[in-house]
Amino acid sequence: MGGEGEDYIVEATGLSKQFMGFLAVQNVDLRVRRNSIHALIGPNGAGKTTTFNLLTKFLAPTTGTIRFNGEDITALEPAQVARKGMVRSFQISAVFPRMTVADNVRIALQRKLGTAYHFWRSARSLRVLDQRVEELLAAVGLSDDRDRHASELPYGRKRALELATTLALEPEMLLLDEPTSGLGHEDVDRMAELIGSVARQRTVLMVEHNLSVVARLADTITVLARGQVLCEGDYATVSEDPRVIDAYIGGVDA
Amino acid sequence: MTITPQLLFGQLLVGLINGSFYAMMSLGVAVIFGLLRIGNFVHGAQYMLGAFGAWFLLQLPTLFPGLGLPSLGYWWALAIVPLAVGAIGALTERFFIRKVYDLEHAYGLLLTIGLTMVLEGIFNARFGAAGMQYEVPALLKGGVNLGFMFLPVYRLWVIVAALVVCFGTWFLIERTKLGSYLRAATENPDIVRSFGINVPRLLMLTYGFGVGLAGLAGVMAAPIYQVSPQMGQNMVIVVFAVVVIGGMGSILGAVVSGLALGVIEGLTKVFYPQAASTAIFLIMAVVLIWRPAGLFGKDTAVHSGAEVVTARSESILENGRLWFVVLAAIGAAVPFFVYPVFAMKVLCLALFASAYNLIFGYVGLLAFGHAAFYGASAYVAAYAAAQWGLPPELSILSGIAVATALGALFGWLAIRRQGLYFAMITMALAQIVYFYILQAPWTHGEDGIQGVPRGKLFGLIDLNDTMAMYFFVLVVFLAGFAFVYRVVHSPFGQVLKSIRENEPRAISLGYSADRFKLIAFTLSAMLAGLAGGTNAIVFQIASLADVHFSTSADVLLMTLVGGVGTLLGPVVGAVIVATLQKELAFLGGWVLVIQGAIFILFVLFVRKGVVGAIEDFLSRRAVRRRNAEASAASPARAAKPGT
Repeated sequence: MGGEGEDYIVEATGLSKQFMGFLAVQNVDLRVRRNSIHALIGPNGAGKTTTFNLLTKFLAPTTGTIRFNGEDITALEPAQVARKGMVRSFQISAVFPRMTVADNVRIALQRKLGTAYHFWRSARSLRVLDQRVEELLAAVGLSDDRDRHASELPYGRKRALELATTLALEPEMLLLDEPTSGLGHEDVDRMAELIGSVARQRTVLMVEHNLSVVARLADTITVLARGQVLCEGDYATVSEDPRVIDAYIGGVDA
Repeated sequence: MTITPQLLFGQLLVGLINGSFYAMMSLGVAVIFGLLRIGNFVHGAQYMLGAFGAWFLLQLPTLFPGLGLPSLGYWWALAIVPLAVGAIGALTERFFIRKVYDLEHAYGLLLTIGLTMVLEGIFNARFGAAGMQYEVPALLKGGVNLGFMFLPVYRLWVIVAALVVCFGTWFLIERTKLGSYLRAATENPDIVRSFGINVPRLLMLTYGFGVGLAGLAGVMAAPIYQVSPQMGQNMVIVVFAVVVIGGMGSILGAVVSGLALGVIEGLTKVFYPQAASTAIFLIMAVVLIWRPAGLFGKDTAVHSGAEVVTARSESILENGRLWFVVLAAIGAAVPFFVYPVFAMKVLCLALFASAYNLIFGYVGLLAFGHAAFYGASAYVAAYAAAQWGLPPELSILSGIAVATALGALFGWLAIRRQGLYFAMITMALAQIVYFYILQAPWTHGEDGIQGVPRGKLFGLIDLNDTMAMYFFVLVVFLAGFAFVYRVVHSPFGQVLKSIRENEPRAISLGYSADRFKLIAFTLSAMLAGLAGGTNAIVFQIASLADVHFSTSADVLLMTLVGGVGTLLGPVVGAVIVATLQKELAFLGGWVLVIQGAIFILFVLFVRKGVVGAIEDFLSRRAVRRRNAEASAASPARAAKPGT
């Protein structure tokens, strides 16, 4: 199936999800090119987040198959998908609120140590990760907040912490669910810059409402409406497609 | 054994009768859970209240001799008692249940457990455990000879009346306007609130209605079963299992499952009597494997672990190394001031509570069947020492092995569901162990295994010496305490913490949350087994009380009183509860009432427990100090108070 000469990291074919008779996602084909930034946009209720949940197996698709790096992952558990190297973020900031900022990142790093199940070992054994924790926190500008509880951070900083935690896993592919939603103007710029720099070595698939961020970052854009793919292409192509304009104007809150 | 038609139809009838009661009771529990999100454990005691209400009305002239009151019979009871019990229910909602709506489901269950202890305790202390007879009303006396069997009219009446009540309730909820509000409120209470409907009153009436159903069932049960304070105890656990099987959020599911399970239970009595009392719980286990949401259930989103309080890890109260030394020192001094036998009891309980805290406090799962692990281990250890002549250390190890295996199995079944379901499932699974031990020949039923030899530890140290025994128990306790601390502060413990804090996020980082929970549950069961086995050797007996549901409630009480999710809480709680039980023993049956009252007080006012309250104080002080420092350094940024 893989296109000739094209290297796709994710290939989803015929994805559908039905919730008690309601088709939230309908026969969606989605291919994400390796080392690209791919944006998923569309009006409210278009099925963007559902697609995300399907790809990461947080929801089981009603029909369809998902391949990651050529391997069929349709039957895997969500945690297994994450271990394969496809890691997601959430629409609402997802930190561990009553753990320190450093511990938030360390939790992600510790998986690679292979001691996650070692209940007989001291947590001090995790101190070997401290240096990497520092690097990651520095990369998102959170070094000074290291010892604060994540719950004490302002919203924009939480999102940065979340990104640092995700990056700690060194995933081949990141799925970001509205990474700039709820952020102030300055924070949006900073986050966009961060995503851009992160994507140099990896693939990013993101759901994003802020079209200027999409225009600035995305190599490919897929527009969803009413659970189906409306069109796909780069920003110029998509923004001129009359169906897209129609979907956005006619389909708000549909 | 030959199966005669008389036996078959007789048991079928008994099954239908029981099923009628299960259906009426499950209906009430399902309605209350659906709307209030409260696991109404006190439903069994409210049913008992109904039966006693009928009995009271009959005894009015004897109870209040001077007043010249008439003796009111069955039909009066049928009219008055459900209303009275329902009114008591509504008041209970108003003054107790209402206070915990905004808290985790766990607290609703804990509160109703406290209420159950108080109610059953009062009746137990006042009327004793023996049952009272209640005459079948004259109109319904006699029976019909069907040729193959004799059908008592009263039983026929119960079945018909129960069906009418169940159908009526179903109609009320599914087909009337009031019902549509109720259902809407079940689906989304917030939206109904925004309709301008008086939701508090709706909730109060719903609770009163559900409780009234229990009262009605109680009146109808009075002429069939003995009227006794304990009559609701096993009933409520069966009903919880029925609701798990039927699936929450389904009225019809509760009714159909209740009836069907009663019949299946009756048939089991015919074909395989040994399994009759566990049939429903075993079916529940199978349903959980096959259809975790229940037969008729929609998968309601009752996710996330209990939001129980945990201390700051940097607090001095959480410093395991320090407290290990302190506890060892106190433990070494104690037998010279306190009666060592009592001190050993406390140590066993403290270990048990620490084990329990591992799953409830640190994973946030409200397990409610830890007596199964504690008791099973006690029985196995006692048997190994008494019958096989194993030395104490090997006896205890045998007990631990069984507790661990049970823990892995029960955990594997229960972790499919979360929140309140998890509590109900572990409770039901523990009942299987209880009934098994009650019936198995090797456990000697009501007598238990007595005269267990303490033996020689490693063939060297004679544990019949009280001091030797004491220090052995102290070492066991300290080892268990250190083990819990190590688990909590290990790489594994870190992941557990992240799962409790934000499960989807932990999964998205690649951690299979359920596997971590299962391991934690198994470790908790293992330590509970260590406590139970040691207890059996110390007191030279394994008894039914060790596996009884009340032991599960006790360990929960100790953990709650001391402080859920704190290092020292379970130890402090064990000391407090054991001391109270000892000092108040002269009160007899009233001790249960006092324990229940403590339960209620802590759930309503001191949810963090004694240690948690101290920790709160220290934590506030630490935050104040940090803020002072922060504002001295940079006046702009002051940290918000941490939790």
